[in-house]
Amino acid sequence: MILEIKGLDKSFPQAGHGRVEVLKNLNLEVHEGEKVAVVGQSGSGKSTLLSLLAGLDRQSSGSLRLRGQEISAMSEKKLTQFRAENIGIIFQQFYLMPHLTALENVSLPLEMFGHKDSQERAQEALQQVGLAERETHFPHQLSGGESQRVAIARAIVIRPAILLADEPTGNLDNATGVQVANLLFDLVQTTGMTLLLVTHNTELAQRCSRQMTLHSGTFQ
Amino acid sequence: MKNPSPFFWSKLALRELLNNRRFSLFFLFNLALGLAGFIALDSFKESLDNHLGQNSQAILGADVALTSYLPFEEKTLNILEAKFPENTLSTRKTSLFTMVATKDQSRLVQITGIEEGFPFYGKMVLKNKGVVDPENMRQSLALSGEAWAYPELLFMLNLKIGGSIKIGEQSFRIADTVIDDPSSSFSSFGLAPRVYLGFSQMEETGLLTKKSRVSYQRLYRLTEGTDLAGLVVKLQNQINNFDGSDSKIRILTHKRAGNNLGRLLGYLNDYLGLVAMIAVFLAGIGAAYLFRNYLVHRFREMSILMSLGATRQQTYRMVLWQLVFLGTGAALIAIIMSLGILPLLPLLLKQFLPHGFETQINLSSLLFALVLGAVGSLVFCLPVLSRIRTVQPLQLFHENIGDQAVNDTFWRQVLSYLPLLVLSWGLSVWQSHSWIVGSAFVGMLLSSILLLGALAWGILALAGKLSQTSGSTMKRLAFRNLQRNRSGAISCFLALALGTLLINLIPQIYQGLQEEVSRPDDFRIPSLFLFDIQPEQMGPLRKTLSEEKVHLNYLSPMVRARLEKVNGKSFEANIEEVAMTREQESRQHFRRHNLNLSYRTELSDSEQIVSGRRLASSYDWDSGKPAEISLEVRYSERMSFKLGDLLTFNVQEVTVEAIVTNFRRVQWNSFQPNFLILFQPGVLEEAPGTFLGSIGGLDSSRRLSVQNRIVKDFPNVSVIDVTRMVGRVLKISDQMVLALRLMAYLSILAGLVVVFSIARHEVEGRLWELNLLKVLGARFSDIQRMIQIEFTVLGIFAGLFGVAVSLIMSYGIAWWFFENLWKWTWQTSLASIIGVTALSVGVAWLATQRTLRSSPLSLLRCA
Repeated sequence: MILEIKGLDKSFPQAGHGRVEVLKNLNLEVHEGEKVAVVGQSGSGKSTLLSLLAGLDRQSSGSLRLRGQEISAMSEKKLTQFRAENIGIIFQQFYLMPHLTALENVSLPLEMFGHKDSQERAQEALQQVGLAERETHFPHQLSGGESQRVAIARAIVIRPAILLADEPTGNLDNATGVQVANLLFDLVQTTGMTLLLVTHNTELAQRCSRQMTLHSGTFQ
Repeated sequence: MKNPSPFFWSKLALRELLNNRRFSLFFLFNLALGLAGFIALDSFKESLDNHLGQNSQAILGADVALTSYLPFEEKTLNILEAKFPENTLSTRKTSLFTMVATKDQSRLVQITGIEEGFPFYGKMVLKNKGVVDPENMRQSLALSGEAWAYPELLFMLNLKIGGSIKIGEQSFRIADTVIDDPSSSFSSFGLAPRVYLGFSQMEETGLLTKKSRVSYQRLYRLTEGTDLAGLVVKLQNQINNFDGSDSKIRILTHKRAGNNLGRLLGYLNDYLGLVAMIAVFLAGIGAAYLFRNYLVHRFREMSILMSLGATRQQTYRMVLWQLVFLGTGAALIAIIMSLGILPLLPLLLKQFLPHGFETQINLSSLLFALVLGAVGSLVFCLPVLSRIRTVQPLQLFHENIGDQAVNDTFWRQVLSYLPLLVLSWGLSVWQSHSWIVGSAFVGMLLSSILLLGALAWGILALAGKLSQTSGSTMKRLAFRNLQRNRSGAISCFLALALGTLLINLIPQIYQGLQEEVSRPDDFRIPSLFLFDIQPEQMGPLRKTLSEEKVHLNYLSPMVRARLEKVNGKSFEANIEEVAMTREQESRQHFRRHNLNLSYRTELSDSEQIVSGRRLASSYDWDSGKPAEISLEVRYSERMSFKLGDLLTFNVQEVTVEAIVTNFRRVQWNSFQPNFLILFQPGVLEEAPGTFLGSIGGLDSSRRLSVQNRIVKDFPNVSVIDVTRMVGRVLKISDQMVLALRLMAYLSILAGLVVVFSIARHEVEGRLWELNLLKVLGARFSDIQRMIQIEFTVLGIFAGLFGVAVSLIMSYGIAWWFFENLWKWTWQTSLASIIGVTALSVGVAWLATQRTLRSSPLSLLRCA
């Protein structure tokens, strides 16, 4: 099992309203190579769950174990390192560094940790997403679909144990969205990576082996 | 897990800067402009120190000198010269201030008697004969009894080379003019040009009497490798063992001679440096503003980096690298700019500079500039950097990056400003060489910023109210923008107001001083000032003056003395002690020099007791009690004297003890004879001394005729034409004010660049809003008017309050330093307000044109 969530709660303080519970007593188990979709309406807690899974936020209570390690028990430094080695994240807004080329964007997470082969691996990742010929282009020179493919390459270049995708096609038109989704699922399939996809797109969710619906902070 | 390559973060930082070229260029130019003046002044100061250090032997004309106000005894000299190493060369020099006369003119001069060997170092150059050598000195000065004069004396007396002047009882032919004299100093304000005579010819003038204030010097050229410091200790120990007048012999090393010459220029440089610091401050405000906006826009990239595995410390490191790059880059540009400013300084300060001075950029100045640029930009932006703490990568899953509120605690915010305060204070103290002046400067600057900031806050609140009630839509929008973009508006306001304050402050102080000292019909200011009047000349002088139908006023005795002890402890200064601050320097100056004492039954109308009681009317020698003295209040503050302190004076070898009984405030600009120390009557009457006095109410022709008559009848009495001196002082002050003003203009230029940067940035930041206004039907002229209203409001109020605070500050400074010489010149104030408003609107117009003229379509695309 790669991911194990037990009794996960997350609440936020809200002025004048005490605490707002966003996630309530969540339980989830994800096996290696599994593709899981978390669906739900806006405000259901999808993004909050994703930020907890990515180790970008801490739960209020409960347990969140990734690759057998309790994330909440890790120090900030350890968590950063763990994330860099094990978790690939794809954002809805792509979030590429505007002043870096496609290749530099992809090699960035490797260079940050001094990998000697960062260039080769980044080129390989770009090739996997079909953008080898666009490696010297800057984000503003790329289309939305291309930008998201670069973002996918950046996420997979570290060969993560789990890939977290937040509405990966949410910012793209239908046709491009389908192309990007095809690419994503093909990559996951061939590399055997675990995918946890957050979306409100039911078609996309159905391509996963399992769908979990989040409603008012709990799985239904 | 490995570490990234050593340059990974610095390379990434640099790439981001290159990608944000516009921000980087504005930041660089903004900070560089502020630093340029500061760096130019530092290089100037370094150049001067180097010049004085390298030329100190030429300034003294020797390695070391013995000086005395009485002729050296042969026996004493033999004892002292036995301490010198073998083969030491020596020469004699004598000088005094006196009057010289032609048939129809007379002038105060410094006559200097020299003999073969002088100067041991440096070259004295004559107009006709060229470099002075032992042969032409012997031929011209010693054998032919000729004189060499400074060219300005010939001009003043309407003489030519070959003309004749009378000095004391002897006439001398002017054989040549001195065009280069390394030992020339600024100390006489150019009022007393120098005349060189042969050493033995000085005797023939009849002026070398015990009652004249003659300086006798023995100059020595030491052999190579002599330990000067060791020699000075030996000489000083020997002098301390002497009794009587021999114990008054002073040792002057070439190093101290150099320092003495540079002291006055040092003071001016200190103040120029403080003015330049304001430019640094304004540039710092602009840089911090630009950086704050840049940083907010970089939050997304920081979040991405953190989501990819960067730690917060690494993100900080990258931003710090950027600040170091920007600061260092700004310093490099500032160095290039300072190369343009540096040559201007010697032109502006020509009057104060030693001959042969050349400016150069030193390595230490370059390093200082680079460190100041890098550290300064870090320190200025530190309060902004604390916002990085709020960057959370989880916000990448939401879409509100950059909008998060900063929940810094009050103390954390205060702490983030602390390094800025410490750096400013440290720089000010270092720049002014004075704990007091430096601290006062930072205190005043901080108070001004807080006061102006509070006023700006009030104006913006008022703008908010007006936005709900006032006139047209554009006017309401303008007021609303002002209220809601507070950081930009306050930064603009501060930059403009501080610039106005500075531009207005310097002339405001100067005008008060100028008004007072140059008022032609004010008879409180005397026409002529007489000194070196011998007691036996009092009667004849009064008679002469009554024949001329003038009266000798404020006749005051003057007795020379040395302060030996304070409350029983020795007051002597260590001969080679290095002064760290101007206050120490000033104290050392007073310790090393003789004091002029006086006594009077009543205080003059330019004096007022500020603490303590009046002195008793007469001293009773049989009482066994110390005499009572009154001290000038600033002198006592400088020397840390308190009421009740017991001072022991050596008055012509008689020990006199005196108790500090009161402190007086003296209005020095009255130009009346005034003294730092006044004794009660009955103590100093028998001590040998001279008298000072003044004559008032003379027009220019009468001044000349009375002066000539005094010189003719009393050759030893020196006369200063006060009107001429005031004119000369004002001319020199004009130069100082011009230099200060130029530095102030640099500050306002820095302020305008801040306004330009902010205006441009604000408009670019509001592209979406402006675009919407255009789409909704607003015309270009409407939007332009809205921007103009914003900057007119800022300009008017910044000008108004900048002028108001400058008036308050100038009044405070005038009250504290210049005995309340303050006069409001409304024309300057009005011009400042109009000028600043016009510049503010103009600069804002210039900065926003391109953006405002863009079509709504392109603006939409950008948005």
